[in-house]
Amino acid sequence: MHELGIANSILEAVETEMRPHPGARAVKIGVTVGALSGVDRDSLAFCFQAIVKGTPFESLALDVRDAAADELELNSLELEEPEP
Amino acid sequence: MSTTTKVPLERKVLSENDHLAAELRAEFARHGIHCLNLISSPGSGKTALLERTLAAFDPARRVAVLTGDIQTDADARRLARYGFPVRQITTAGACHLDARMVAKALEGWDLATLDLLFIENVGNLVCPTSYDLGEAAKVVLLSVAEGEEKPLKYPGIFFKSKLMVLTKTDLLPYVPFRLDDAIANARAIQPDIEILQVSNTTGEGLDKWLEWIARRT
Repeated sequence: MHELGIANSILEAVETEMRPHPGARAVKIGVTVGALSGVDRDSLAFCFQAIVKGTPFESLALDVRDAAADELELNSLELEEPEP
Repeated sequence: MSTTTKVPLERKVLSENDHLAAELRAEFARHGIHCLNLISSPGSGKTALLERTLAAFDPARRVAVLTGDIQTDADARRLARYGFPVRQITTAGACHLDARMVAKALEGWDLATLDLLFIENVGNLVCPTSYDLGEAAKVVLLSVAEGEEKPLKYPGIFFKSKLMVLTKTDLLPYVPFRLDDAIANARAIQPDIEILQVSNTTGEGLDKWLEWIARRT
């Protein structure tokens, strides 16, 4: 149920990270979710899809990987930048 | 043409909440406040345990309660009867409290007048697990009517809690609850978890709970 809030936090982090990269397109955001984090992966994926729909981040892929214990972390952001 | 860049992030998803929670924790430490975050399913007896606890305290005790619910201030009204400061946080839909809600609810309170703060989270065994509120410890309540497999079904909160309070123990003769299994299940998730048994109806075990608080404050 709180996966919507988690998805929002992820998208906010992406928006913050994209600021220094004008003109770039966010391709993939990697997060790690531990089994004890209290976050359901399917529910998170569903919420993420719902909030990016109709936004500039519609094509942004959410890459969720397993992690130890209660970890809930942002790993890396892949972006495409136009050649200078 | 374009190039693909990978930006390493390596930080928590909820780092903004964690940052606020760290500020709250520092504020509590500065004022010598011990903060306990009570979490359980709806109806496990969080409010009843707090009622019993406040009733047992000396009226001069420097204690306050923040109580969270999705709607209504019913719990705050129940708890206010004991004469200590109580504030309701109504989340209007959110299934958990976060550090921002706690910081907002504390506005205007003179923290120097407190040394114990209970936060009664929204009844939910899942979502409150992810949100640090700056507490010194999370306390999970599990009523014997819920079943002994709860720690295995909802491991996150049992993993993060310092103490499990088994409530409604007066119902043990009437419900098929295997007490030893419940304890073993909780310890399978968190070997160091402390465990108490309390009946808010008869008051049995309440002394141990009050001693547990006294040891920490």
